[in-house]
Amino acid sequence: MTLTERVKGYELRLDLSYDPASDLWVDTSGCTDASGSPGSGVVVIGLDPLGAETSGTLAQLSLAAPGAEVRRGGPLGSLEAEKFVGPLLAPLSGTLVEVNSEALAQPAKVHHDPYGTWLVKLRPSDLGADLDTLVRGEATVREWFESRVDDYRRQGVLAE
Amino acid sequence: MHPWPLRGNRLPAEERLRVIDFGYVSPLRSQTLWHAVAMGVSDGAAPPTLSFARPTAPYVGIGYHRSLQEVDTDVCAAKGLPVYRRMVGGGPVYLDQNQLFFQITIPARQVVGVRSAALRKLLGPAVAAFRAAGIDAQLDAATEIVVGERKVCGHGAGQIEEAVTVVGNCIESFDHEEAVSTLRLPDDRMRSDVLAAMRSYVGPPEGTPAIDSTSFTHAAAGAYEKALGLTASPGQLTDAELAHLDRLDDIFVSPRWISSGDAEAADEPAEVAAPDIRRYEPARRDAVDGGCRQVKIRGGVYVFRAATEAAVARGTVVGGRIRHAKLRLRGSNALQPDLEEGELQNLLGVLEAKLEGLGLGEAADVLRSVGAGGSEWRVASTLADTLDLVDRTGMEAGR
Repeated sequence: MTLTERVKGYELRLDLSYDPASDLWVDTSGCTDASGSPGSGVVVIGLDPLGAETSGTLAQLSLAAPGAEVRRGGPLGSLEAEKFVGPLLAPLSGTLVEVNSEALAQPAKVHHDPYGTWLVKLRPSDLGADLDTLVRGEATVREWFESRVDDYRRQGVLAE
Repeated sequence: MHPWPLRGNRLPAEERLRVIDFGYVSPLRSQTLWHAVAMGVSDGAAPPTLSFARPTAPYVGIGYHRSLQEVDTDVCAAKGLPVYRRMVGGGPVYLDQNQLFFQITIPARQVVGVRSAALRKLLGPAVAAFRAAGIDAQLDAATEIVVGERKVCGHGAGQIEEAVTVVGNCIESFDHEEAVSTLRLPDDRMRSDVLAAMRSYVGPPEGTPAIDSTSFTHAAAGAYEKALGLTASPGQLTDAELAHLDRLDDIFVSPRWISSGDAEAADEPAEVAAPDIRRYEPARRDAVDGGCRQVKIRGGVYVFRAATEAAVARGTVVGGRIRHAKLRLRGSNALQPDLEEGELQNLLGVLEAKLEGLGLGEAADVLRSVGAGGSEWRVASTLADTLDLVDRTGMEAGR
């Protein structure tokens, strides 16, 4: 069940996991049991709202092809906004099973609807270990997100 | 004598801004040299670096994600213009000796996470350099370095491994005709639109005094050292960077890299670039006939041509508003059986006038409100359907 809350001006899904290193959200509901313990299945990955905001409107997006083996922290793709190319880093290790052709065709949608426009679906190879590196749980996610926004606002690079 | 003080050479690397003026270099090296610097800074073995170069001959550069279909490679080949793909963003650009290139490269961890803010911070010192060189430049809301409405500096940026590089070119003069000739465009009408827009919005205004390159490079070093809190000092490539340079020279001439940005073709180690990244070809934007072709002239200024089987709509968008719209129907007159040719031309003129100054988002709606089910409505609705093909990303926001 989705659980969305407005946090510091952003619509934030509290039921998802987040990778602080890559600005990506990870929906593990397809491969964890009711207690959140890892099982088999596929995770869905997308750009989180703050990642979308700090990137700007995406003009270009490239993603690894289905079947590609990616490792946590390694390249998952690249994106371009404001003529600035940056890497997309994989939040989990595993095999890509699907990429969102709609996001590839219209990257700007990722900016406007970061939760609705997922990027890839991935079959994790070591979900148990990788889960520990993600920010998870309603209170933890809320606190972590607030702190990120505050950080940017203190630097004066994000509007109030 | 070096224009930059030598005191920085004794400082630790993290406090130095290395300044390298490569001078005149081949078109290939005018790209690969700064990519090698980025890899050196990424390795941590080289300090943040401000570099300069000027190509000895003209060529065409294309951004990391962009399709080679946007470049008329036949024309480039006939003119002897090489085409090189860079690892930073932006579209196809015509580059020549009348442009002084500069690049600022710093470790990625030192770059603020908000892309627009990072870009403004790293382009700001270049504006100071322009001004020191006698050019009254400003960084505008679309993050372009301009004099009035005219872009006087192209730019692109990217994270290359663990370094971020922002590149720019100080445009001393610009050969608009040659630049337009290197673009693959669907017809001469659009070519004419692109040329007109480039003449209006790219290059220093007529009467601008010649840019003093030495003043520019000297002022840029001063402005970047101040902005970054570093001390500028002259430097040279490290041995590791020279090794990167050798490999980059091979990669950049590899047909596979040029066509698709795939470094594997040059038998490169995987760390040079992500080898398995799908490069999406945005067919709608690249279509030569049918679909929509858009050319960004500068931030906030685009030329578009949208075409269906039934109609063609062309125009220029400035700050999100349509200027100089041109509409025509193709082929048979099945759409307007009740209209004589003269009446049709009058109607098209009226519709073009209606579009002037409208935002793209409202233009199609305005056309669809014309007439009430008759011939005029059919014509206007067909043109509205054509305008729907235009990708409004960036155009409406003025980016």
